[in-house]
Amino acid sequence: MKNSVKDHCLVIIGLILFVAGLIIVKTLSEPQGVMRALPYVCIGIGCGIFGQGMGNIISRKAVKNNPDIYKQIEIGKKDERNITIANRAKAKSYDMMIFVFGALMVSFALMGVEVTALLLLVFAYLFVIFYGIYYRFKYEKEM
Amino acid sequence: MKNRVEEIRKRHGIKQEELAAALEVTRQTIGSLENGRYKPSITLAFKLARYFHMSIEDIFIYEEEKENEK
Repeated sequence: MKNSVKDHCLVIIGLILFVAGLIIVKTLSEPQGVMRALPYVCIGIGCGIFGQGMGNIISRKAVKNNPDIYKQIEIGKKDERNITIANRAKAKSYDMMIFVFGALMVSFALMGVEVTALLLLVFAYLFVIFYGIYYRFKYEKEM
Repeated sequence: MKNRVEEIRKRHGIKQEELAAALEVTRQTIGSLENGRYKPSITLAFKLARYFHMSIEDIFIYEEEKENEK
């Protein structure tokens, strides 16, 4: 029930953002600064949120009259092998991300990209790495 | 680590699907377990042992030398 309410809220928020984006696009004749991108960001995020909520509602309705399929889906979600596979895949992609983002930052620096954008990327990169270190210490204490 | 899950399951006349449903895992997990491709958690090992009314050592065979080589 809680999830159902949440999904309906997501659908409404998504629709509001989408419509607001469309209205801004239609009403502003010569947008300046942030207003040039904002309506399209609203439309994009609105569509994403709407799709997420509507997808959840439809999938819940689809399995509502079929408890066997619902149980199978739940088992698939909680299956320890599936969880292990997902975690290993995530760990591999994280390792790859460290190299790819590192190479991208060096490339941007050599290309002479604006310092603000480059620093934002470096901070985001460091944030992810420190997040990993934090959880390493946290799990070290827990296990 | 080897296991005798397939042998024991067949002896009990149970299908992979039935065992998977009883242990609340997917059929693929049981298949991988029987092939030796997947090493189960201690929880799943206990569930298996309880399901067949056996001890874990009766189902799983720990080979120390091979494990240390990895």
